[in-house]
Amino acid sequence: MTKIVKAKINGILLRVEAGTTILEAAKRVQIKIPTLCKHPDLPPSASCGICIVKNKGSHKMLRSCCTPLEEGMDITTHDPEIVEIRRTVIELILSNHPNDCLKCARNNECELQKLTADFGIKEESFPQFLRDLPIDRSTKAVDLDPKKCILCGRCVHVCQELQDVWALSFLERGMKTRISPAGDIQLADSPCVRCGQCSAHCPTGAFVEQDHTASAWKALQDPDKYCVVQIAPAVRVSIGEAFGYTGKNFTKKLYALLRRLGFDAVFDTSFAADVTIMEEASEFEERLLHGKSPLPLITTCCPSWVDFMEKFYPDMIEHFSSCKSPHEILGVLSKTYYAEKNKIDPAKIYMVSIMPCTAKKYEITRNDEMFASGHQDIDTVLCTRELARMIRQAGIDFDSLPDEECDSILGEYAGAGVIFGATGGVMEAALRTAHYFITGKELKNVAFENVRGLKGVKETEVIIEGKKLKIAIAHGLSNVEYILKKVREAKKNGLEMPYHFIEVMACPGGCVGGGGQPYMVTDELRIKRAQALYEDDDHKQVRSSHQNPYIKRLYQEFLGKPLGEKSEKLLHTRYKARPIYAK
Amino acid sequence: MNKLTPSDLEKMHKASKASSDGPKDWIKVGMSSCGIAAGAEDVFNFFIEEVKKRNLQIEIKKCGCAGACYAEPLVEVSVSGLPPVVYGAVNKEVATKILEKHVISKMLVNDCIFEVLG
Amino acid sequence: MYTKVILVKDTDLKREDKTREFYTHLLDYLRGSNLHAQIQVVRVADIGVYDEGLVLKILPDKIVYCNVQDSDIKRIVDSTLDQGKVIGDLVFKPKAKQHRIVLRNCGKINPESIEEYIACGGYLGLKKVLGELGQQKLIEEIKISGIRGRGGAGYPTWMKWNFAREVESAEKFVICNADEGDPGAYMDRSVLEGDPHSVIEGLIIAAFAIGASKGYFYIRAEYPLAVERINKALKQAYDYGLLGQNILGSSFNLNLEIRLGAGAFVCGEETALISSIEGKRGTPHPRPPYPSVKGLWGKPTVINNVETLANIPAIVSNGGKWFAQIGTLTSKGTKVFAVTGKVKNSGLVEIAMGATLREIVMDICGGTLSGKPIKAVQTGGPSGGVIPEALLDTPVDYENLQKLGSIMGSGGMIVMDEDDCMVDIPKFYLGFCVEESCGKCAPCRIGGFQMLVYLNKISEGKGKLEDLEQMRRLAQAMQKASLCGLGQTASNPVVSTLRYFETEYNEHILNKHCPAAKCNSLVTYTIMGDKCKRCGLCVTNCPVQAISGDKEKGYLIAPEKCVKCGRCVDVCKFKAISKK
Repeated sequence: MTKIVKAKINGILLRVEAGTTILEAAKRVQIKIPTLCKHPDLPPSASCGICIVKNKGSHKMLRSCCTPLEEGMDITTHDPEIVEIRRTVIELILSNHPNDCLKCARNNECELQKLTADFGIKEESFPQFLRDLPIDRSTKAVDLDPKKCILCGRCVHVCQELQDVWALSFLERGMKTRISPAGDIQLADSPCVRCGQCSAHCPTGAFVEQDHTASAWKALQDPDKYCVVQIAPAVRVSIGEAFGYTGKNFTKKLYALLRRLGFDAVFDTSFAADVTIMEEASEFEERLLHGKSPLPLITTCCPSWVDFMEKFYPDMIEHFSSCKSPHEILGVLSKTYYAEKNKIDPAKIYMVSIMPCTAKKYEITRNDEMFASGHQDIDTVLCTRELARMIRQAGIDFDSLPDEECDSILGEYAGAGVIFGATGGVMEAALRTAHYFITGKELKNVAFENVRGLKGVKETEVIIEGKKLKIAIAHGLSNVEYILKKVREAKKNGLEMPYHFIEVMACPGGCVGGGGQPYMVTDELRIKRAQALYEDDDHKQVRSSHQNPYIKRLYQEFLGKPLGEKSEKLLHTRYKARPIYAK
Repeated sequence: MNKLTPSDLEKMHKASKASSDGPKDWIKVGMSSCGIAAGAEDVFNFFIEEVKKRNLQIEIKKCGCAGACYAEPLVEVSVSGLPPVVYGAVNKEVATKILEKHVISKMLVNDCIFEVLG
Repeated sequence: MYTKVILVKDTDLKREDKTREFYTHLLDYLRGSNLHAQIQVVRVADIGVYDEGLVLKILPDKIVYCNVQDSDIKRIVDSTLDQGKVIGDLVFKPKAKQHRIVLRNCGKINPESIEEYIACGGYLGLKKVLGELGQQKLIEEIKISGIRGRGGAGYPTWMKWNFAREVESAEKFVICNADEGDPGAYMDRSVLEGDPHSVIEGLIIAAFAIGASKGYFYIRAEYPLAVERINKALKQAYDYGLLGQNILGSSFNLNLEIRLGAGAFVCGEETALISSIEGKRGTPHPRPPYPSVKGLWGKPTVINNVETLANIPAIVSNGGKWFAQIGTLTSKGTKVFAVTGKVKNSGLVEIAMGATLREIVMDICGGTLSGKPIKAVQTGGPSGGVIPEALLDTPVDYENLQKLGSIMGSGGMIVMDEDDCMVDIPKFYLGFCVEESCGKCAPCRIGGFQMLVYLNKISEGKGKLEDLEQMRRLAQAMQKASLCGLGQTASNPVVSTLRYFETEYNEHILNKHCPAAKCNSLVTYTIMGDKCKRCGLCVTNCPVQAISGDKEKGYLIAPEKCVKCGRCVDVCKFKAISKK
């Protein structure tokens, strides 16, 4: 039983479980203590000093974000002195910030800006000091502008603890303190895997996705271009947040919207996810039944994960599915299959991917195989946050948009394709099809509840034709080590492999929690987004990828068979060990 | 080395206390950072050499800083028949006087004593 | 062979030194009395008594006479030396005396010899703890002693230990905090270098108290000799079975290791220190959880300062009651101060708590070196404040110093005379904290920096009266909103100088004048024609050729060229250059 503590906040008597912070406890009695460095998704870093409160009888002030409410405390959260100190601290932070809000990517979405407005700060009362540090644009995905950094430490926490990447750390001290890869190298030369979690958690414009909306606008204006767009599964359930909706699926509104933005063809990445499943399930079948390559098979839909593995676990390359990520597949199919069928010059096709992800921005030029169509398969990647901006720029009233259908022949998806956006989704989709490939029989119940949910590592067993398959799912790169160490151990000692099939997504929650998604993500929000995807799947007539008639048609008309010659050429890729950071 | 038992420790305490309380003559040089910075190492080595050269029966020891850092190097001299005293700001010149006057002639040296440690 | 020695020294600074004169007179009288073969008279450099006229010390009787006149020679020789009578009206009554517990062995034993430490009673405390006391009684004894942490905050040591003891954990740690970083403070270094075993014994006892089997010495790398001596001492302790398995034949095991600090001041803060040992960036973390509950590697950890630990064996050997008799009601025992600055005898002083600042500075350390009056005393290093001369009669303890706007701190004490500027002093300390701020939290990182900007402005004569208000506002934000002690106290030097010396700030702001002639931008060097003998030494020594003129017309300093290096003042033999 948890211990209950009794205490007062602003005179209100309350009882909370021991360990509840003053900040949390105050919320329960409708008191909002202002915060800046605290992100609801992360443990307190206690760096800003804005959430201070008084406890009766003590001359010290407490940081409510990290101080548990204790028995008998008598807390004051707001009085003129506290407010004045908070104001001073905000003014201090502003004195070390460019305050160029009008030109900032986070204008209107900045937590510091909002706090400044809340406190009615209208002038700079301390002289401004800025460090002359260049913007790091090296990753092609996420930019770091150290001048805008308020050193809250969220990005360092997500990079080190959540993602185990350690590309970011604090350097130097005092006023020279800054966030940078250790050794003062550029992000692109660091272990950074471009997951973008730093940008999703940053309170200001210090970490922002590289904005590619301009390229998209330019292409849309170009009469010679045939503009094709695809939306990733996770985008449909998060874009609403930019317009005040949570946990709602806006697939059909998005189709309408993208047409109004001027796209000539609107496709859906979920369709390509079905293709991925056809290929990956076949690979799994091959490895399981014919032992061509070793088990476990590890999924590769996530470019950050691929990058991470190449750097940190290069010995796992042989376990990697060679299948490209779904949006790349859709890119190459658009510029080959679709172009051929509709007699469009693929050179004129301009392919835009709307993704929940920043790493995809980098992935599109990752290696030669991303040019399998003979052109760059994907021309531009926009993340969810950029799309929201485009919607506003285009003057489209999101709320009253009608529903529309997507374009044929690369749009209609099975339920399996859309759950790709949640952790465990790829595994579930693959199992549905793998079961059919291995047994020739359809599943009665296609829902694999054990692979869903936000547990960091999910291990479970599935029985297919009497054969027990051990599977594991990890999301959030810090959860990978547990699984891969086991595999490594088994390999080293010649033991039976602990798993047959492993799914990894770099971002916590999978793509629904992607680094390019709307701000202020929490587990609660990740669950809501995922739930909306599972509902989409539930409502689909066709739940498994191999049953999707458009998939069947694609293989009949164009690809032949999974892992066939054409598939291999267009849909598969290779990986390169870059073991400088090997764990 | 043998590990001590509680009674060994007691015995050792008594034995070494007795020997250090004995009548033996000694010179102690303060050899902490403050002393060394002020030149204590040279003074210490000088004493060792001179005592050897002059064949004096006196032990040269090291100790930590006694606190009077401003007067380093500090040298405490204990010679039978004279009260132990501390010389401050000792250099080779003063050290020579200590050996010749204090140790050999049994007279305290003028203008060099720092009687500050109680 | 002499039977007695008389040490003589004139301690009156206001007149010509009469030591030699008196020495001759005394010697003459002894010759006349035919005592010169039995009694040696010795002139000393320092007799340990200050401002008490001519002082005599008779050895081996240790009789001290002060304010002695020539006319007293006869009665001193006749009654004291001849008949052994003490002359009451001449006897020096010391106002303050050092009381050595922590420094009990420093300067006495060879720090590299465990045998000498044992000869002085070393490790007998540990023996007592393992043999008769046991954990509970040990902590009880420490509680009775009333000892509080000597690192600065003054937290009761027994409580720290007790918290850690009560937490159930298979693994616990003890750490000796030897990351002494206050400018001007070096008590801990001296103890580590002069009596390393006392600290080791203290740490072993602390480990036993909480049930730790592993401990660390966190010593800053700038203390190579301390590291070397602790290293040697640890080896000796292992050899004697005072560390390792089955210490002194008991079932208690403990391993101690050294970890070097890389020179960050903030790593003296215990949560930052823990991060540093764990191999992480040394930044403070929110408390609770306190290290006693969740410390190094998440395990209960007790961190004690060097001086605290050096006290422990003495407390154990002599009993808590003995210790509790020393000191004041709330602050027991002694405190070691490193007295530096404009003081005559800079060095370490250990006094019983409750001695006044004046006793420390005047009676033990002999006042200022220059003979000029004391302006203030700074305690607590960059976290402390200045205490003006008028308040020097305050007895030293944790609470009193805090009431005055300073803190006990780890024991740095800097004496200032009228040549010290009360805008310049906080500039130095705040500059130190700004440099040493870990950069984690905004109030400390930016607040300290901004405050320093104001101080610089004022010392350059560009300040405004509003700046003082802004500084007070910043100080409040830093005190209340900073995460760790560094930020919370970094403004103390500024706040305390504003409290006691606001007029001096005003003088800088309103009259563009630095009364101590310290703030270079406000100082002008002028050659005083009446005193100048036109030797030309200043001209040849000026590094920037700012002085022109000739022997006929005299010399002038061109203010626009002068870089205010002070070289001319130093070389002028006639004190003809004024600095105002």
